[in-house]
Amino acid sequence: MTKMPKLFVLLVALSLVLAACGTGGGKASDGQGGADGGNAPKVELTAWAWNVNVGALKEAMAMYQKEHPNVSLKVEDIGRLDVYDKLSTGLAAGGSALPDIVLVEDDRIQGYLEAFPNGFANLSELGFDAKADLFPDFKKELTSKDGKYYALPFDAGPTGMFYRRDLFEQAGVDPSTIETWDDFFAAAQTIKSKTGAYAFPADKFKDDANFRMMMNQLGVYYFDKDGNIDFNHPKVVQALSMLKKFGDADLVKDVNGWDGTVSATIDGSVATIPFGAWYYGTIIDQAKDTAGKWGVFLLPAFEKGGNRAANLGGSSWMIPASSKHVEEAYKFMEFFSTTTDVQIMAMEKYGLFPSLSTAYDHPLFESEVEFFGGQKIWKLFSDEMKDIPTPYYTKDYAIALDEAVKAQADIFNGKDPAQALAAAAKRLADRTGRQINQY
Amino acid sequence: MRTKTYVPLLFLTPAIALFAVFTVFPIVYSFLLSFQTSVGGEMVFAGLDNYRRLFGDQIFRTALFNTFVILVIQVPIMLFLALVLASLLHAAKRARALFRVSFFMPAVTSLVAYSIIFSIMLMGDGVVNQFLQAVGLKSVPWLSHPWWAKAALILAMTWRWTGYNMIIYLAAMQNIPESLYEAASMDGAGKIRQFFTVTIPQLKPVILFTTILSTIGTLQLFDEPYTLTKGGPSDATLTIGMYLYQTGFRYFDFGYASTLAYVIVVLIAALSFLQFKITGRDGT
Repeated sequence: MTKMPKLFVLLVALSLVLAACGTGGGKASDGQGGADGGNAPKVELTAWAWNVNVGALKEAMAMYQKEHPNVSLKVEDIGRLDVYDKLSTGLAAGGSALPDIVLVEDDRIQGYLEAFPNGFANLSELGFDAKADLFPDFKKELTSKDGKYYALPFDAGPTGMFYRRDLFEQAGVDPSTIETWDDFFAAAQTIKSKTGAYAFPADKFKDDANFRMMMNQLGVYYFDKDGNIDFNHPKVVQALSMLKKFGDADLVKDVNGWDGTVSATIDGSVATIPFGAWYYGTIIDQAKDTAGKWGVFLLPAFEKGGNRAANLGGSSWMIPASSKHVEEAYKFMEFFSTTTDVQIMAMEKYGLFPSLSTAYDHPLFESEVEFFGGQKIWKLFSDEMKDIPTPYYTKDYAIALDEAVKAQADIFNGKDPAQALAAAAKRLADRTGRQINQY
Repeated sequence: MRTKTYVPLLFLTPAIALFAVFTVFPIVYSFLLSFQTSVGGEMVFAGLDNYRRLFGDQIFRTALFNTFVILVIQVPIMLFLALVLASLLHAAKRARALFRVSFFMPAVTSLVAYSIIFSIMLMGDGVVNQFLQAVGLKSVPWLSHPWWAKAALILAMTWRWTGYNMIIYLAAMQNIPESLYEAASMDGAGKIRQFFTVTIPQLKPVILFTTILSTIGTLQLFDEPYTLTKGGPSDATLTIGMYLYQTGFRYFDFGYASTLAYVIVVLIAALSFLQFKITGRDGT
């Protein structure tokens, strides 16, 4: 080998090593917090969020910068499940490559706090206790552990059936006559035969959103308030049986994940999409050419006069303890969570329903929304809030959800709901060591 | 002259250091972890509890069963297909390069990307079912039926990896002396007979090599089931690799996940040993 190729190889190897070192550096911020008067040092905060939350965060930062021009924000728009994967990995690695701010859905918070007790900043120590009472009780319960707060409550997901007015009209169905799931069943059959549209979408074998909404409205969930497994509760069985009824009548469209649900929303292959208020943001963003054709009605009750209020989703902001700018991140997030104007902006533009109680006095909640044919949808959702039963997620929520999805898959493949749930309860008990409630 | 003895050592040090940190340390640490369990966020020593739990774990048994079903069906089909394709390509007169490249292309795709594409194609109203209906067959519940979901997985994996194995066989075939084939055809053996009596025996060491590689790969299978079906429906396509990931990163049970990892290692070692034994010590 002559000298030239040897030198070349050495240079290539060297540059590869340097490149690898360079990318491993991570976020470099000029100056830490703790200014000593005069110009505050520049701080760049990083955040992970998904979907419409990203836009809300960015606009809020623009508002925050009026008083704090030295703070800037870099938001990474990562898919919801991917945020959890990255968060879990980073926390397991002792807090590496984590952002300053991360969005976490309420049903995951306790699981993270239990698995990584030192992974998140203690917000009570940063002064959040004084602001906690601005939020509803169920939110306070979900964002705290042992009396200390670890998350700033953000949005709630009061549920509704987002429906296409034109499809209902075409089939001659009046949504105000639908009071129970049985009423809706009959209406859905009419709609399917007259327009070809399915009643609602479901990721039949990978997710159980519809099941969770139905359980919540019936006042039950995977676990009871003592943390015992409640899969055998007659109302849980009732919810799953209702889903099976729709599935057997071929009224449920099987969709592939979130993308599949959105596609079905856009192309009109489903007449309704039962979801939380936050779905508003996705509809107005993705289904722009169906403006004015939408409406919302509450989830049908299981019996006449029964509860029609439920919650799906809702999230809060957490600050990983590994952040280099915990104080600055907290100050910004406190501004975000407790400023009425920010929450109203998030709702108006992005459909993120606030849990901040002071926001409900805003005239926006009495407004007619054009995209929804002039309906006062925000009033519908805010009126619902007081009737929402508390769902008990517990720290074993992820395992329970996986088992519930298996039970749902089983019933769509023909199994009897009570049996599928009993089997799921047993598996869940084996995996978590919790007691099963027998009925 | 004296300086030369430590110079090689100097150059080896970076490699040894990286190996020690990224390979040896995790191997040892996860072995230790497999004897620990998480109590309120702290890892405490738990003796053989995790291993005992593994033996009674119904879901682990399901995952093991699924992994073995896929292993036993997919690997032989794929390797045989690769052998046949390599044989045909070896004898091909024209467009060899084109065929080589097109069969090998799937091996260059990202595991996640191709799984996503397959999941879209295999949907209830996806391209594959539309095609089936167009030729008069019934549409298949590819991703919703417990057995069809396994078939979908096997289909996807075979598409991805056949070309890779084919190239290996093709390279090995160049070393088979033509005289063997000539002798066989003089004795009256047709092309197909020659394939079974000359090609395959001559390729025994290579076939052993690819079988072991494929076995190891299938026992660790994760990307495809995770993206295609998320282990569903109802754990029908849950593999032990996926179960390990779920246990560690979804349920945060790192101790038990490490136990699972070691059991997989033992399985791989046992199967590899068996395969060596069956085909003869060095494969000849």
